[in-house]
Amino acid sequence: MSEILLDVRGLEKHFPITKGLFRRTVGLVKAVDGVDFQVRKGETLGLVGESGCGKTTVGLSLLHLIQPSAGDIRIHVNDTWQTVNNETIKDLRREMQIIFQDPYSSLDPRMRVRDIVAEPLRAHGMRNRRERYERVEQLLEAVGLGSHHMTRFPHEFSGGQRQRIGIARALALNPSLVVCDEPVSALDVSIQAQVLNLLEDLQAEFGLTYLFVAHDLSVVQHISDRVAVMYLGRIVEMADVDDLFAEPLHPYTEALLSAIPDPDPDTVQQQIVLEGDVPSPADPPSGCHFHPRCPYAAEICRREDPQLKVIGEGGHYAACHRAEELNLVGVSVMDSD
Amino acid sequence: MLSYIARRLMFLPIVLLGVTLLVFFAMSFLSPYQLVSAYIKSPEELKNQNLDDLVHKYGLDQPMPVQYVNWMKNVLRGDLGYSVSANMYVTEALLTRLPATLELALFAIIPVILGGVWLGTVAAKNYNKPLDHITRVFAIVGWSLPDFVFGLIMLMVFYGVLGWFPPGRLSVWADNVILSGDFVQYTGMHVIDSILNRRWDILWDAVRHLIAPTLTLAYLWWAYLLRITRSSMLDVLNKDYVRTARAKGLPERLVMTRHVRRNAMIPVATVAGSMVLGLLGGVVIVETVFDFKGVGLLTATGAQQLDYTLILGTTLFFGALLVITNLVVDVLYAVLDPRVRLE
Repeated sequence: MSEILLDVRGLEKHFPITKGLFRRTVGLVKAVDGVDFQVRKGETLGLVGESGCGKTTVGLSLLHLIQPSAGDIRIHVNDTWQTVNNETIKDLRREMQIIFQDPYSSLDPRMRVRDIVAEPLRAHGMRNRRERYERVEQLLEAVGLGSHHMTRFPHEFSGGQRQRIGIARALALNPSLVVCDEPVSALDVSIQAQVLNLLEDLQAEFGLTYLFVAHDLSVVQHISDRVAVMYLGRIVEMADVDDLFAEPLHPYTEALLSAIPDPDPDTVQQQIVLEGDVPSPADPPSGCHFHPRCPYAAEICRREDPQLKVIGEGGHYAACHRAEELNLVGVSVMDSD
Repeated sequence: MLSYIARRLMFLPIVLLGVTLLVFFAMSFLSPYQLVSAYIKSPEELKNQNLDDLVHKYGLDQPMPVQYVNWMKNVLRGDLGYSVSANMYVTEALLTRLPATLELALFAIIPVILGGVWLGTVAAKNYNKPLDHITRVFAIVGWSLPDFVFGLIMLMVFYGVLGWFPPGRLSVWADNVILSGDFVQYTGMHVIDSILNRRWDILWDAVRHLIAPTLTLAYLWWAYLLRITRSSMLDVLNKDYVRTARAKGLPERLVMTRHVRRNAMIPVATVAGSMVLGLLGGVVIVETVFDFKGVGLLTATGAQQLDYTLILGTTLFFGALLVITNLVVDVLYAVLDPRVRLE
């Protein structure tokens, strides 16, 4: 097992709900409510969950693009552990970068591609313009674009090409960790595959570590080494990708997996349809957050909040009181290579 | 870009033709006896003359289209007719009054744009904080107060009570200096001329007379630009590429200037066009309130005295100015936004 690159403990992000003339705080939306995880050097950790579960907020707060409310984020650089906070983040942006979801809105429409990609280099002290543009040229080639694209503006590119520009920009500073915030969900399926393969190639070439945020389970299965499942601001299950897909330990994961469409028309799908809606993160249910929708909920689930703990062997984590007794159905692991 | 500008300039005569047709149509409601006044320079000429003969002599008894063609022939020769109210030829009147208006407009436009954009930036940066609310009140007052009311208040306070900023263009003593042979009038704009003549006392006097009308012209448009800049900045601040800029590790100052403000300027440039139009209207009112002898005051007096040659002349002048300003705004737009192609 390789060493740990990123260590996150107790990460929380609460958004205040304000009301009235003087904007009194009347409540908190707990978008991220106590998340712990580690990312190992060179691996891809997939972070999945439905809309509004806080997965993007986790990614953004790691980089302090939104200010986390609480928690401890540490990253292992140059053989020392560095805590990520408002002071250190300026330098740590060299190590931690992000690829955004929407390639159409995340590039400044008034900048040429070479300036978009070169700007982080300048911000981090590369003064020589020619040096910067040489580096941009290398980066564009690495992501499958060419030097003739350098002087163009973002609107002259297709979605896939724009996402490649975003990737080149993220890699400009040679980071060790890249947060991929749903990098392919805005793209056509055919382009998704190209970009995913590019991300894998770049990972091998530059020794990158990915935190891959997505809601598309087949994408996550394809690219991840390990997967963490989030529900209502918390991680409910985390395991190696094959374990998680084959033998889920949390009822929510089971329901998610059952929703993956099977391309074989002969198989009869056993979809688990969850009752009700996702509860409001401003007013989460007592006990286990999932219990009102859980088909296996017992008395204890209403009262006690389950902790994320190792179940069995092989580092399979789950936050469910009944994880050991339930026999949940997974999906057959597709050949991901 | 150059061919685009050239093509747009080709439209200039067409627009002006439309302007003349409109004004001429309005003039057709006047009687020939009213119109003949434009050709009479002094009451002396009316002695021993039959008014009907004069009407016939100047072709004013002819149908309107014929009169229009005759008038256009003169215009193309650069002759806009004689203005009774200004007591000189219209072309001459426009040329002598133009520097004053240019001076006023230049002194207003620069602080309007810089101040408005700056205030809007401050408001957006302090969104929903006290500074934002203060600029909001400032804008509401500016946008609600008619400029002639605000101008009169300015006159009352800064001239009537404090005596700081008198009306007119220059004090009497300064006017005498300028009209004396020692002072060379290079441009007709007193501020520039006094600098070129190294007459600092005249410069101070000219600036003192400019402050109140400039502020009056500017206040309304500060209010407007400030609100547009603010909402446009707030819009851009929420854009993903601003987050991208932060993720690059840019200092906040650079995020603001390089990414937010540059993109926020696109809608601001659009309204700047209509702002220049409004400034032209404002010039007529402000020059009248402050007795500032420019084209605006000329137009106002001409209109009051039904001096139709002058009205036609100033309308043509403002029309041309309008077309050129719109062209400048369109070109500026392409400079600001690379997605706009001028073809």
